[in-house]
Amino acid sequence: MKREARAFAGPIVAVLAIAALMSAAMLVAGTTPVAGFSALIAGALGGRNEIGETLVATTALLFPALGIALAFRAGLFNIGAEGQLLVGALFAGAVGPLLTIPPAAAFVLLFFLGALGGFVWGGIAGWMKARFNANEVISTLMLNFVAASLTLELAGGPLRGPVASGAETAWLPNAYWLPTLISHTRLSTGILVALAVAVALHFVFSRTVFGYELRATGEAPEAARRNGINIARITWLSLALSGAIAGMGGAAIVTGELHRFNTQLSPGYGFTAIAVALVGDLRPLWICVAAFGFGILEAGGLSMQASVQVPKDAIHVIEGLIVLILAARRYVVTRAHGASA
Amino acid sequence: MSGILLSLALLTVIKATPIVYAALGGVISERSGVVNIGLEGMMIAGAFTAVVVSYYSQNPVLGLFGGVAAGALFGFVLAVAATRFKVDQIVAGTGINLICAGGAAYGLVIIFNQPGASNQVNALGGDYWVLIAFALPCVAALHWLLYRTPWGLRLRACGENPAAVRSAGLDPLALRMWAVTLSGAFAGLGGAFLSVGELNLYSDGMTAGRGFIALAAVIFGRWTPAGAFAAALVFGFFEALQFVLQGRIAWLPPDAMQALPYVAALIALAGVTGKVRAPAADGVPY
Repeated sequence: MKREARAFAGPIVAVLAIAALMSAAMLVAGTTPVAGFSALIAGALGGRNEIGETLVATTALLFPALGIALAFRAGLFNIGAEGQLLVGALFAGAVGPLLTIPPAAAFVLLFFLGALGGFVWGGIAGWMKARFNANEVISTLMLNFVAASLTLELAGGPLRGPVASGAETAWLPNAYWLPTLISHTRLSTGILVALAVAVALHFVFSRTVFGYELRATGEAPEAARRNGINIARITWLSLALSGAIAGMGGAAIVTGELHRFNTQLSPGYGFTAIAVALVGDLRPLWICVAAFGFGILEAGGLSMQASVQVPKDAIHVIEGLIVLILAARRYVVTRAHGASA
Repeated sequence: MSGILLSLALLTVIKATPIVYAALGGVISERSGVVNIGLEGMMIAGAFTAVVVSYYSQNPVLGLFGGVAAGALFGFVLAVAATRFKVDQIVAGTGINLICAGGAAYGLVIIFNQPGASNQVNALGGDYWVLIAFALPCVAALHWLLYRTPWGLRLRACGENPAAVRSAGLDPLALRMWAVTLSGAFAGLGGAFLSVGELNLYSDGMTAGRGFIALAAVIFGRWTPAGAFAAALVFGFFEALQFVLQGRIAWLPPDAMQALPYVAALIALAGVTGKVRAPAADGVPY
């Protein structure tokens, strides 16, 4: 009984701490917690349009969160999902306006291009880790900045659209906009692709040899090596695939939401997705639930800012606090710099 | 030509300074056995707090101390998480980065009523040279502390084999607590240099990954204060080079050039990490 009580105490204390901090952030901003939380919930779930916006954010978070979970399961910490998403979006946004193929083929191609962009960007960090044992935490983060300047250079220069106001590509033809899922909202069928990826990843983790090798590498690298698993291959491949999934998220934003590439298309989805992946316990199906929860925070946070003037950045503090609290759970056996790849 | 070289040299020193301070923080923390991915967030906390304190007190030196204190506070948070709760240090550090970036963005709206950037505040101005020069005695002092004092020996032992430190009758967790808190103070100083030294305001994203570049400098510098200092100078050089080349050479793509310091850090990371050895217990909770 006592042990059960203790098992429940941790999460309850965590939730109370988060609620208290959020209330404090609302009070400091000059509104009551009741008004603040009402605005947040109403803004996220109060109507068809609000739910649509929440699911748009859910979609944008789900792709990178699934990618992060894949790398994490292999014992690799990918904090470069933001850059991988951006490069994937650029690949889709650069080619999309030029296409003249049937829409169904175009959608497949655009998601493939997004995945390819992310695969390359994640793969660079993976290759550096496998070949030189370069710390992937630092390399993936550095690559975010490289991606930001490269996409700015390209979208602001050679790939800039004729009617662009900033660093944007040309519009995709109407035929290549993903169909809307709920009418009169911005929610596209991209969310179905995200859910399909989640199911596929669940299957990969639980039913395939690659998934087994990946988890073995993450959970017991030395045992995996002794059992003949090619650790270097698992390392570069899991970071590259992690990037590919994040990159598909970029393509989903381009074809489903913005209908062109814009350097500002992600307000930090790749970082929030770290919290999503951890809250989802690195399990693809739970990550879908977590992504919806964080979608509520993202969409609700925006409307809370608009209606009761609580800066939406308070949400990001909460997300950071959640990550900090969840760090108490051990994810990977050893992750020292010196641990061999 | 010599004018360009001189300005390149001066700019290198200026751009290297915040990285040097953060990298010294990284050396202390990692030598004690705690990976400090939160350096970036602690720099943000330092940069933002320095501006806020200077805004209210009109005194940039007080701001500087405020920045150091804010960095130390988040260093302490990571220290407690890493020692008392034995958390995954990389996950915890990432959480601190998110908290600090979000907190500063929130604070900008609350205090200065505008997103993105603060008001201009009193800054060190020309006196920031003192802070640039102060980096050298810091490197020397840390070298002396690590290699010439009992405390340094214990700290290094803590990063290699905390169980041995324990069996010598010392408390490795207490040593790590101090080291990580001090690490945060250094990162806070680096951040404060950016906001009230080099500039006179805080803007979102102004640390621009320098905390992570500092971590690359720690590895490139083989976990020694002098090595990290030299590595920070190299990365500072590439940041300066990008500024000096911009506009001077027309065919260079300006936005892509901004990637230069990060690419340099990536190459350094790939180039040395196979040949260097981290403290054996670095990142492993005790």
